[in-house]
Amino acid sequence: MDLVFFKIALILYLGASVGYLIFLLVASSSQATVGFWSTVAGFVAHSLSLLHRAIFSGFVPLGTTFDALSFLSWSIIGLFLVVRCRVPSPVFGAVAAPLASALMLVGSTLSYQINEPLVPVLRSWWLPIHVALAVVGNAVFALMAIGGLMYIFQERLIKTKRINRLHRLLPSLEVLDLINRRGLLLGFFLLTLGIISGALWAGSAWGFYWSWDPKETWSLITWFVYAVMVHQRVALGWRGRRAALMAIFGFCLVMFTFVGVNALLGGHHAFRVTIGGGRT
Amino acid sequence: MISSILVIGLNHATAPVEIREKITFPGNEEGRVARSMLDVEGVEEAVILSTCNRAEIIGLVEDPEATAERLIATTGSIHGLAPELFRTHLYVKEGPEAVRHVFRVASSLDSMVLGEPQILGQVKEAYRRASRAGTTGPILNRLMHRSFFTAKRVRSETGIGLSAVSVAYVAVELAEKILGNLKDKSVLLVGAGEMAEMAARHLVSQVEKPLLVVNRTYQTACGLACQFKGSAMPMEQIEEGLISADVVITSTGSCEPVITYRHMKEVMRKRRYRPVFLIDIAIPRDVEITVNDLDGVYLYNIDDLQAVVEENVGERRQEALRGEAIVAQEVSKFMEWTRTLSAIPTIVAVRRKLETVRASELARLNGKLSRLTPEDRETVEMITRAIINKIAHDPISFLKKVGKRSRSKVYLDITQRLFNLDGTEVDLDAHEGESTDT
Repeated sequence: MDLVFFKIALILYLGASVGYLIFLLVASSSQATVGFWSTVAGFVAHSLSLLHRAIFSGFVPLGTTFDALSFLSWSIIGLFLVVRCRVPSPVFGAVAAPLASALMLVGSTLSYQINEPLVPVLRSWWLPIHVALAVVGNAVFALMAIGGLMYIFQERLIKTKRINRLHRLLPSLEVLDLINRRGLLLGFFLLTLGIISGALWAGSAWGFYWSWDPKETWSLITWFVYAVMVHQRVALGWRGRRAALMAIFGFCLVMFTFVGVNALLGGHHAFRVTIGGGRT
Repeated sequence: MISSILVIGLNHATAPVEIREKITFPGNEEGRVARSMLDVEGVEEAVILSTCNRAEIIGLVEDPEATAERLIATTGSIHGLAPELFRTHLYVKEGPEAVRHVFRVASSLDSMVLGEPQILGQVKEAYRRASRAGTTGPILNRLMHRSFFTAKRVRSETGIGLSAVSVAYVAVELAEKILGNLKDKSVLLVGAGEMAEMAARHLVSQVEKPLLVVNRTYQTACGLACQFKGSAMPMEQIEEGLISADVVITSTGSCEPVITYRHMKEVMRKRRYRPVFLIDIAIPRDVEITVNDLDGVYLYNIDDLQAVVEENVGERRQEALRGEAIVAQEVSKFMEWTRTLSAIPTIVAVRRKLETVRASELARLNGKLSRLTPEDRETVEMITRAIINKIAHDPISFLKKVGKRSRSKVYLDITQRLFNLDGTEVDLDAHEGESTDT
């Protein structure tokens, strides 16, 4: 049942992506409206999917990479809907909906079985806390990167004096920069808490806080990159294009840490996934 | 007689300003001019539309050709002009063409600046005055309401009103794109000439912070600053201005660039890379073009702005084509409505005619029927009613079907002659369909 909802949500997000794409091509606001409501409907279905999965498994449904990806795309769409209230630019949705769809498509190639029983040591409240913090943090970085893309794109348009209709649909550079600043602080805060909670969980489960497995190492690298970004912004006054480029670079790193490490480098976290109880 | 929608008018495209400023239908505030149009023979409903770019009479009239002549003469006498003076500048449209014209005007497809938003309000005002004066009836009420609806559709379904089509508006739009809300931003004028003043006026109205002016002659700077309630600085302090301002308009007569790449690079560091929008309207240029390559600096000169205007005008034209398609749809919907409108009265008249025949026949035989019991009497009533309903059923359902076709007028005409419906109120309405078919 949760998979049915998941598929419905995915189809609606894909539909929204198509709607938004047409909207970008012909700049017809009615298509953007279609895209938006399709996204909202998809979000509702997606929420039901998560809810059903939670009830069915009797625990927070964050135990597999599939779940983590599903939750990440849910968070991205949720954040998009929140941001949209403040910055009513349909172009945001035009990037957020395809991104969420892509993550869900990646997720649906993975096993969605809820392995029973969960390894007892993992059946802890640290699981939802750690995963939710990490995933929501990543979703914030995703939104930041989307804002960064829009910034770079629009900045080029203005600099090269190509002012066309698409231009009018983008939020101002100032607003995009503000998203970057707020997103950076919030995302960095969540990432920090995510890493700390992971360490505490490891400490309570296995007695050691840090074991330098690939995921942990890459998370730390990501953390340092964002720490540098915070420093450049706050202390050196970096903004605009540089901040936008860094947001995009940072998110690439996040995605590598999130998905790539498991697939390419294996290790501690990935090992858990194969036996079904991973912490992402 | 045939009733038809008629538009007589002139606008910026057909008449020079000397003529336009003479024909304004003065004194129409209470719809009095519209009222007086009803006194013209053949005019049934009228709306007067008068703006700085157009003057029009929209009417429902009988015998459009002759009535148009009378309306032109009346217009002449209202303004104390000989009709020959303005006749050649007039357009006269009738039937679907007139409907199309009204819809296009309301949708701003016929405006001098395509897509400008004021015209809809002016059309609404014209209609409000006419309906207060009681000069509109069912046809023009519907026509005007449909024109508002069409205008709304054109505005929301196309991008006709979205892009800025003057240099001043483009500058403000770009400033908003770069800097967001302009309220808490500040503007610096470098050079205090007439050009600077013109360029700054619209921008300054969007900004709450006081304007800064620097100029080679301090006196002139003070003069312009006073006018905008801003403050003036001597040229030597230009760097301070550049550091604090968010939008800079340069318009000095200097032959050498006033703002160089190296200068601006230093300024940006001191600004902590806050973005700045430079508008260079001077010829020769006041700002080195390479300044645009600096991070956070956006430089537009007057040619760049002009190019954006051209681009936007082209875009509005594109969008106008989509607007025309919407208008065409709405015109055919409206014409459809006028056709069904004319079939219904005919059907009503046919029914009424048959009922009259039945009632009069029963009345004639009243003496012979007096022997019947009330129950029998009731039965006779029922039978006769059933007979006429049966007879009327086929022709009426035929008329209902035909009412939606373009050839309906032929059948409506035949029906009226067959049942000898002439001289009833049906006549006029039925023929209205005929006129709108042309």
